[in-house]
Amino acid sequence: MECITRTKDGAEVLVEYCSGALNAARAAEIEKHIAACGACRTIVEAQRELWQALDGWTAPAVSEDFDARLYARIAREESAPSWKQWARRLLQPAIPVAIWKPAVSLAAVCAVLTVGLMVRTPDPSEQGSQTYIHEIHSEPVDIEQVANALDDLEMLTPGSAM
Amino acid sequence: MNPAQPSPKAGVKRDMEAVASLERDAELMLQVRDGDTASFGLLLERHRSPVVHFLYRMVQNQAVSEELAQEVFLRVYRSRATYEPTAKFTTWLFRIATHLALNWIRDGRKEKGQESLDENLIEGVERQVADRQPTIEQNLLYQVRLREVREAIEMLPAKQRAAVMMHKYEELEYSQIAKALNCSESAVKSLLFRAYESLRARLAHMA
Repeated sequence: MECITRTKDGAEVLVEYCSGALNAARAAEIEKHIAACGACRTIVEAQRELWQALDGWTAPAVSEDFDARLYARIAREESAPSWKQWARRLLQPAIPVAIWKPAVSLAAVCAVLTVGLMVRTPDPSEQGSQTYIHEIHSEPVDIEQVANALDDLEMLTPGSAM
Repeated sequence: MNPAQPSPKAGVKRDMEAVASLERDAELMLQVRDGDTASFGLLLERHRSPVVHFLYRMVQNQAVSEELAQEVFLRVYRSRATYEPTAKFTTWLFRIATHLALNWIRDGRKEKGQESLDENLIEGVERQVADRQPTIEQNLLYQVRLREVREAIEMLPAKQRAAVMMHKYEELEYSQIAKALNCSESAVKSLLFRAYESLRARLAHMA
């Protein structure tokens, strides 16, 4: 078997092996290879030692009043005026805004294009319908304008960066 | 994390327990949606520590981690009326937690809490002394090793850090980590590979 580290995704497979994420057949294959390959064995041993070091980092116990503080916050929110509750839901959604990005970006593009068409569309009564259709089809999309609109929208959207 | 490959029977049993646990989470959250606040308490009991500990390792400040964790559960509670079990509850939970942690790191607030970082370390060592009666040399070695691990983790880019925390300490699947980080599974594997490679290099002298 060719050294795993020379294959595509090779070292990633070794990490998966160390974390027990491989099925039994694949794990057995890796074990057989490791027994014969010094380079891979070194990586596996180093990974296991790393995990031992990480195991030594225990997080402190959660404060005893954590739940009480949480319920107090919930109670305060529940008793807040309804407009405040709606504003909070709007500005602090449970699902991060990043998941809405494609829809937001698409909406922004549509909005910019619509505004662009409306602004540049001449008065049909003055120039005639043929000219009107010609201008719409020949109006180029200002890519920089679209990009700027998307940037502006992203700046306005809270917590959009991840 | 046990590096040895589990036996097939142990693996199947673990998978079945995991599936039962996931179904229980969804069931509880649906009950919360229907107005059962006691079920929210049960969810809190099940997930409080993992969320706080994940955030603690991300921001390395106990007070901040608890504040962010409270915000996570607050957002879950706020969303109860529209909850649908389209994804695993833990995936949703850690997605919110990751989002808040990455925002906090991006905003660079960790410097303000640096003093309490050291206080927590001292408290941790005192707890160790009470529990295990180590020698002074063992205490010092523990402090040094702990500081090196924390600094190595802190030097990782935020997304790599989040991926390692979810993979190593919370044992989330690649698909769950991918959803939490809003990226593909192959991107998660790449993040983990680069993160572990960096950590191995920085902590090799501790072997």
